[in-house]
Amino acid sequence: MTLRLRKHAFDDDATLMMAIVNRTPDSFFDKGATWAEDAAFERVRLVVEQGAEIVDIGGIKAAPGVEIGPAEEKARVVDFVARVRAEFPALVISVDTWRAEVGAAVCEAGADVLNDAWGGADPELVDVAAQYDAAIVCTHTGGVTPRTRPYRIEYDDVMRAVLDDTLAYAERALAAGVARESIVIDPAHDFGKNTFHSLEVTRRLGEMVATGWPVLVSLSNKDFVGETLDRPVGERLLGTLAATAICASAGARIYRVHQVEETRQVVDMAWTIAGRRRPARAIRGLQ
Amino acid sequence: MRIALIPGVPALLPEHASLEDPVAELRAAVLAAVSWLGDDVEILATEQGRRVALSVLAARSGSCGPERSVLVVANGSACRTEKAPGFLDERAEAFDAALAHALTTPDAAALRAVDPTLAADLWADTAALPRLADLLGDDARTVAIDHDDAPYGVQYWVIRWEL
Repeated sequence: MTLRLRKHAFDDDATLMMAIVNRTPDSFFDKGATWAEDAAFERVRLVVEQGAEIVDIGGIKAAPGVEIGPAEEKARVVDFVARVRAEFPALVISVDTWRAEVGAAVCEAGADVLNDAWGGADPELVDVAAQYDAAIVCTHTGGVTPRTRPYRIEYDDVMRAVLDDTLAYAERALAAGVARESIVIDPAHDFGKNTFHSLEVTRRLGEMVATGWPVLVSLSNKDFVGETLDRPVGERLLGTLAATAICASAGARIYRVHQVEETRQVVDMAWTIAGRRRPARAIRGLQ
Repeated sequence: MRIALIPGVPALLPEHASLEDPVAELRAAVLAAVSWLGDDVEILATEQGRRVALSVLAARSGSCGPERSVLVVANGSACRTEKAPGFLDERAEAFDAALAHALTTPDAAALRAVDPTLAADLWADTAALPRLADLLGDDARTVAIDHDDAPYGVQYWVIRWEL
């Protein structure tokens, strides 16, 4: 399906790197490395140089911790979005938030995508996306409260649950007035899922792609990779890339990542093997 | 009569397209030469060369009209460098130089005299040259040498003749 992220349209066969930019002091991977605004801005510059089409700016870490209210969340991201918008007009700006109030403020500042990692916890977020003609990412969390860890969650069929929830969310966004080409679905690995659930979702990702909605995957350095390979944060790149290759082979369109260049190579390779992309320059044996 | 020579490079086929065309200059020369031919084009080529010929004819931007035309598919050695498909053969450069002279002059007798055994040793595609020599005879004149290069250790020419 053609994808439009507010002003930015992409071809049907395009894959997109969504680089994570945390305006947080405590996110699990970078541990506050881009907490300072200038450091975060340097991170944006870097990932743009590395070819990222999207930045995903977040002001609250996903894991439980100190409560961050809407005012503090806005203080962390709104002006920053405006600064990135001014400097990089061609860059797609996504904001990782579940709050409609924050969504409205960042859209006003120039954000293109509302990445709702918490599966529609705030029902008015879709209205904000519609109001600003922004795109929305519809995730599956199994109905958990934002910033809680999964605990003994069970599904009869995890992919069935993912499909039911993300498609229902997508339809809700559509009904609210979000453009059809601006709705993305995301199984949300590790959110409301144990490692076995995330592995199964990865294995069956093609079922999401088959719905026709563009699929986003957020795999980068997550616990399901760490638990699968018994690797701590910081040693999960290879496992992340292996999972990335499986998702690319299945047809995922957007990759939310810490490591842009490595992921781009893996996605391009898998996408080309799948016959959806040409080699960069093939002459061997064809001279 | 118009006659054009192109190399039978599989990279010219659409199924082998890359994001960046590794034979962009050659392709431009080939398309210019075949667009200079007439509506109905006789092809002199091996089976693989014929596929390339049909493909570039399908992709050409136009034709000169009803004039009788022949498209010949052939190329020089594939042994010009150590990275060449047939590795470096010290005889390749002289072979290609002699063939270049015969084609560009044009010299029909010299084209007929190309040694098929040496050509095979050097992975050259010369199967169509005897018939090209017959067509050129003594009266053809070279209209253009659109391309003369060996970018991947394989000698390519794109040449047009008229008689």
